[in-house]
Amino acid sequence: MNDIRNQHRTQLSIRVMQVLFATLCLVVLGRVFYLQVIEYEKYSMQGERNSIRQEIIPSARGLVFDRNGELLVSNEPIFTLTVNPATYDTSNNTLLAKLLDVEVSHIREQVKTARRYSWYRSSPLLSDIDFTQFAIIQQNLWQLPGIGHQLESKRTYTDKINASHIFGYLREADIKDFENNTSLFLGDKIGKSGLELIYEERLRGESGIEFKRVNAYGQALGSFVVENEGTNPIEGANIITTIDADLQAFAEDLMIDKTGAIIVMNPNTGAILTMVSSPNYQVDRLAGRLDRTYWAHINSDSTRPLFNRAVSSRQPPGSTFKPLMGLIGLEEGLITSTTNIPNTGGYQRGRLYRDIAPKRDYNLEKAITFSSNTYFYKLMDDIASSGRLNIWSERVKDFGLGVDLEIDLPSSTTGIVPDSAFLDRWFGVRKWGLGDLINLGIGQGVLSVSPLQIATMTSAIANGGYRISPYLVEQLETPFSTNFPNKRNPSKIDWVQKKHLDLVKKGMRGVVQEGSGRFYVKNDSIAIAGKTGTAQNPHGYSHGWFTSFAPFENPEIVVTVFLENAGFASISAAPIARLLHEFYLQGTYNSYVYNYVKNWEPQEDNSDQTAE
Amino acid sequence: MASIQKDLDWTSILLWIGLSIIGLIAIYSATQGPVSEFLPTFIQNNFWKQLLFVGISLGLLFGIQFINPTIFKNFSYVAYAISLLLMVYTLFFGQEINGAKSWLRFGGFGLQSSEFMKITTILAAANFLTSRRNLATEQIRYALVSFLIIFIPTLLVIAQNDFGTAIIFLALIPVILFWSGLPYGVALLMVSPAIILYLSVFSWVYGLIAMGIITAGVLFLQRSKWLTIVTVIMGSATVVVVQLALTKILQPHQVARVIAFTNPSYDPTGAGWNVIQAKTAIGSGGWTGKGFLEGTQTQLRFLPEQWTDFIFCVVGEEFGFLGASILILVFMLFLLRLLQLSINHKNPFAQLVTLSVAAVYFMHFFINVGSATALLPVIGIPLPFISYGGSAFIANTLMLAICLNMDLYKREFSIYS
Repeated sequence: MNDIRNQHRTQLSIRVMQVLFATLCLVVLGRVFYLQVIEYEKYSMQGERNSIRQEIIPSARGLVFDRNGELLVSNEPIFTLTVNPATYDTSNNTLLAKLLDVEVSHIREQVKTARRYSWYRSSPLLSDIDFTQFAIIQQNLWQLPGIGHQLESKRTYTDKINASHIFGYLREADIKDFENNTSLFLGDKIGKSGLELIYEERLRGESGIEFKRVNAYGQALGSFVVENEGTNPIEGANIITTIDADLQAFAEDLMIDKTGAIIVMNPNTGAILTMVSSPNYQVDRLAGRLDRTYWAHINSDSTRPLFNRAVSSRQPPGSTFKPLMGLIGLEEGLITSTTNIPNTGGYQRGRLYRDIAPKRDYNLEKAITFSSNTYFYKLMDDIASSGRLNIWSERVKDFGLGVDLEIDLPSSTTGIVPDSAFLDRWFGVRKWGLGDLINLGIGQGVLSVSPLQIATMTSAIANGGYRISPYLVEQLETPFSTNFPNKRNPSKIDWVQKKHLDLVKKGMRGVVQEGSGRFYVKNDSIAIAGKTGTAQNPHGYSHGWFTSFAPFENPEIVVTVFLENAGFASISAAPIARLLHEFYLQGTYNSYVYNYVKNWEPQEDNSDQTAE
Repeated sequence: MASIQKDLDWTSILLWIGLSIIGLIAIYSATQGPVSEFLPTFIQNNFWKQLLFVGISLGLLFGIQFINPTIFKNFSYVAYAISLLLMVYTLFFGQEINGAKSWLRFGGFGLQSSEFMKITTILAAANFLTSRRNLATEQIRYALVSFLIIFIPTLLVIAQNDFGTAIIFLALIPVILFWSGLPYGVALLMVSPAIILYLSVFSWVYGLIAMGIITAGVLFLQRSKWLTIVTVIMGSATVVVVQLALTKILQPHQVARVIAFTNPSYDPTGAGWNVIQAKTAIGSGGWTGKGFLEGTQTQLRFLPEQWTDFIFCVVGEEFGFLGASILILVFMLFLLRLLQLSINHKNPFAQLVTLSVAAVYFMHFFINVGSATALLPVIGIPLPFISYGGSAFIANTLMLAICLNMDLYKREFSIYS
């Protein structure tokens, strides 16, 4: 038993413990006060961030239609696996790679990219996974924290036409794209060529943002509405193109195994009905998850399938240039309709410029019909000698050559139409002379143009001297608006006189009736007018041109065909143009010519014999 | 004769009821709220089971008041021996839950023998010390025996892999020694390694500062040159050992756990996860909380073990500082009331038992809430009367019932003994 003194001492000890317990309880209370009241801001934000995830709702990309409302490009849903770096455990890389049947290094790389982009936001890990793999992942989701999926879409294309150079392809946005555009998110695909690139902003629309409440395992628990937060996606605009899908399909069929380009255009408006560049690529193989093998293949292919020859190829126009030469000559008063120039086998000026047209006298009309070089050498000589080079250059540019046509496609070329300033730059001041200029008269020398420019020039001749601006998109449509992004009114080229045009057009009609076109282009029911041309090619067979319009009296279409390494244009490019005229204007075509075109092989020509 | 109606300490009982109700509310929210869809069925049943345990405990609490208080003293060794056997049995045949092999299965219910070991250890140690004619731990033999009475179950608990409970047992040693007349300076010396160790984990500078203050305290209280020197040596040794452990001895993952305690954001998804989520839950509660069943951390399952070890976070998140401070204050009043009962009692056995019971409650409370608020490293231990758990609730109520019984019969007590 304790004695009294001890009892006091014990009571004191217990009092000390009371004080100690009370003090420590208050310390705990103070700590709780500190966390809940003083640091409240910090933890309440952290709490929100913990349980609310920001998710992007992609907008539906705009659809692409042909001029008759036929659906050409649409969207198809695909499953994309996403990773949330904050909750993902990288030791699962191997398991994930096994389940998805891809390289571990690829997963690791993707996770790293996702981390760099955002630690808390889910980013795409692997897009376009097939449904079986998706199901396997869903079954194993419990051991894959941080892995989710989102429904995305990929482009899907009509089987009817290829038109890869018109549509263009989409690729995942890269670092540069993010820097330039803050509304992009990792994994977003953006147009990298064709209409997809030019109308990217309009096609894409705007992604929406949704705030989702998730649990500790990252499972979404339905959307969570915070006032004024979260936005609905805005659908991309639909594109109604000027393309005629039937004609496009036919033209593509004719160009199989050929290298070159076709433009079919309405000469009165500039609307492009058909544009083919061959060889093409399979744009659908670039949709969804990138097929790396195919991508490498088309990038290294020596025939350059990604290159849009219709707007980017730069070639001498050859004899297709001659009608325009005639117009300029008439306007400048250097020739008249009756001016006769004899062909004696060539034009002698310092050297002999050869001419293989029949040896006889030619007025302008016949010079065009039979493509006499001498006539245009002489004319160019007169232009240059009379100091009219720069006037000539201006007039040529009025027809759309040597200028940017501002078509709604990327990387269209301006081509080269020289003036004295250009030649000073090109050859050096005083280092060029008449010898460099006379060739320009027959569309050779430093002159270079794209097939689209030749089509534009031909349109201006066909429509009575109106400069048109080619375009591919008729309308951009959203539920709220319709606009005409690139449709521009034709403008009269003021110096062109109708009587001059009529003369030149008669010459072009003659090409089909009695000139080089009489074999394959002449059609009794359609009045086609046109002009062949050969672009000399130092690397092989010459390139062939044929540009044409029909019907002669009231032209509805211009068809320009350009074939690389084709030899004589009159037996290579011209028959193709004829079939297209027939197909468009009659709905039928000459099957003999069709079989001829399909079985056609390039033939050697004599490069010196540039006149056709 | 004492009258239950008049002499029973209703204050303690009301506080006990208050804590049980807070516990039931929190368990309901942690298992029956929207969170239930993420929980297995057996955990969803926890609220109803706890309600049953509270009912059983209520019966126990009043039933025990009819027992003669001498029984606790007289049967203390027997009860101690039986619970030791039960502990050993558990060690061999028990069930492992969450890494700790401390459960015995009886049909649908599990029995955690270490919960009952606490009260029998307290009774046995108190009986041993107060039965000596000259109660004095000055006699080293008595000190050693009472130390062993506590240390044997401690070893068994450690063998069961339950370190949290082991700390509770060890904490009884200084409490009992303190009560039995250990000089304050010596008591301070005995707890100094724990304090210095805690601070050294943050920085060796804090450890040395703490050592300086404690040394000054020991010198002031005891005015003994030798004790002061021992304090300095033990303190410095603790600082050095902690530094060596952190840099040389511990495995990297163990170091990571220690560093995660001092800086949870060091490893937010690994060792620091629990701490961050717990702090976030409490901190985001603010003044008044997010509301019953509205806590996102709780209901979206960001909290680990939210019906047991982290139940304080549920209260903190859903009821805010208001709710958390009510819990803390009720608990504090409860502890102070028990210590007051101890002071009022003239019988040393009853005094020591009540004191020890209060100390056990306090240690549970301080470690549990300290873990949840990141004052302490995370040590898994339930919050008495609040956390889910039948064994713990019943054993804790049993301890209270014995204290109240001895208080009820305190006038008769001296006659019996």
